[in-house]
Amino acid sequence: MSLRRVGILLGKEFRYGSKSFIFIIAIIMPLVLSLVLTLVFGNLFSEKPRLGVSDEGDSRITNLITESDSMVGREYDSPEKLRKAVEDGALDMGIVLPSDFDSLLEQGQIPEITAYVWGESLAKQRIVLRATIDNMIRDVAGQEVPVEIVTTTLGDDESIPWDDRILPIIVLMAIVFGGIMVPATSLVDEKQKRTLSALAITPASLAEIFLSKGLVGVVISTFMGVLILVLNQAFGAQPLLLVGMLALGAVMASAFGIMLGAFIKDITSLFAINKAIGILYYAPAFVYLFPDIPQWVGRIFPTYYIVQPVVEISQQGGTWSDVAPEAFILIGLILVVIGIIGALARRTAQREALA
Amino acid sequence: MVGDAIVAEDLTYRYGQLLAVDHISFKVAEGEILGFLGPNGAGKSTTVKVLTGQLQPKEGKVTVLGIDVAHDPEKVQAQIGVCFEITNLYEKMSAEENLKLFARLFGVPHFDAGALLERVGLEGREHDRVEEYSKGMKQRLMVARALVNQPSILFLDEPTDGLDPASADNIRKVILEERERGATVFLTTHDMMEADKLSDRVGFINQGKIVALDTPHNLKQQYGKRALRAQVAGPDGDLESREIIMDQPETAGAVQELFGREKVVTIHSEEASLEDIFIDITGRGLTE
Repeated sequence: MSLRRVGILLGKEFRYGSKSFIFIIAIIMPLVLSLVLTLVFGNLFSEKPRLGVSDEGDSRITNLITESDSMVGREYDSPEKLRKAVEDGALDMGIVLPSDFDSLLEQGQIPEITAYVWGESLAKQRIVLRATIDNMIRDVAGQEVPVEIVTTTLGDDESIPWDDRILPIIVLMAIVFGGIMVPATSLVDEKQKRTLSALAITPASLAEIFLSKGLVGVVISTFMGVLILVLNQAFGAQPLLLVGMLALGAVMASAFGIMLGAFIKDITSLFAINKAIGILYYAPAFVYLFPDIPQWVGRIFPTYYIVQPVVEISQQGGTWSDVAPEAFILIGLILVVIGIIGALARRTAQREALA
Repeated sequence: MVGDAIVAEDLTYRYGQLLAVDHISFKVAEGEILGFLGPNGAGKSTTVKVLTGQLQPKEGKVTVLGIDVAHDPEKVQAQIGVCFEITNLYEKMSAEENLKLFARLFGVPHFDAGALLERVGLEGREHDRVEEYSKGMKQRLMVARALVNQPSILFLDEPTDGLDPASADNIRKVILEERERGATVFLTTHDMMEADKLSDRVGFINQGKIVALDTPHNLKQQYGKRALRAQVAGPDGDLESREIIMDQPETAGAVQELFGREKVVTIHSEEASLEDIFIDITGRGLTE
């Protein structure tokens, strides 16, 4: 194994491979997907907080809510209807104002209002609404902190915000697509164009050729993983550990890509197989996306061990001791895939010579 | 004393049940051009792949530059140049970039891509992408690529197949220059004219076996027949052909009789071609 030759081949991959369609897609697709999913699930449907009110009297606050530009305000004619709207997710929050609310405030008393919060609303929406309600009440009362709000959360109180649910699939997309498809297409392309045969009769060994292609996958995959986490402000408190786990995941993805590339003989078959098994790459992300699916299902899929440590560190403040079991399983999986590549390498060389 | 650059002993290769190379043995001396002739499917390319370490022999042994190819193919590959039958260049790169990449992989110091491209007649096009090249230009670049490491042995698999005469001549000129430099050339072809012009010796391979191996001259001597072919004017003025076999005791008398009795219009000697000899030996043509 010559690192000089690996470096030469790596330079070739970056210089000429970076113009390939797959290379460009590996960079653009996770970014576009991140943007689209964030817009659809994170911002588009909940850009303005939605507040409902059921007024049993004739409070000025109701007018302030329905006329506010900073939120979507709706009035409901019964507390039951308001509660139903919150349960259905039509509102981020709903408040029930008692009939004598304004007069109690004016008398300097502390009236009680009931607030319903949709469990899946974003935390930032809740904060905005609470602050807005506080301000409106101060306006009406003309005094500081005149009321105590008793909050009742409806729906699944443990529910994970959409931002957090979406992140695993975007991270997987960034790591897996670049890591698998960039080395795999590069290798299959060289086989199809017979340039692999030309390289194979130079002093460069098949191991050096595979390693250079795998390294391209690792670099692009790690870079995209880091970029996606930075863009989603989900880098967590342990950046070095996070980058290390991203890189380990990228190694796994790239090794798998090389294995596919060594096994498959043409680009059409590569895309067909990738399409057929692609759902398996992203299966663990669906477990995060839909928490009703039992979490153990995710563990069946190898990519779980790529994404879980990243999620653990970036979203749950995990440390090395928290992610070590998954990391060791991932290293084991990488060694298995490298073993398979070793077995396939001889077959690849033979097939190339026979082509 | 000139040593052997290539020694094949009882070399055998099978594709499954099909015996592609059948226990062949031969030697190629240093600085020699060996033309390896045979029709498609005879086992020429398979032999080259085994000699260059791309395939492991199923039986027998191959020594190239004193190295057992099966045991140390990388060491052999560092000292040889291979021009493949099928074009396999990096088409998105320029000619210069293609050559420089391979020169770096071979660890060639101070590599001059321009000079090599000039040798194969590609000067002025070195920065063009290979995908813009004609077939002849690509083939010349393939030959140039095989020369980046100044190989001790040059393996050329059908280097002029399907090329225009100018490109083919350029490649033949480079082959002879390489021989002058001291390189051994293993030339695989089914173009018997080319083999006759370039080769010190030619080997005929048919159905995986070497059926003849000698200098073109000796093969013609051994298998061919030399003849005089004359055209004579007949009694009604029509031209008729006459053939006199040479190198026979009665040849001189037959020539004398021809000129004495008939009106000779044209006369010339004829030699057997390598193709004639191949057909004579194998019962099939080189282009079958």
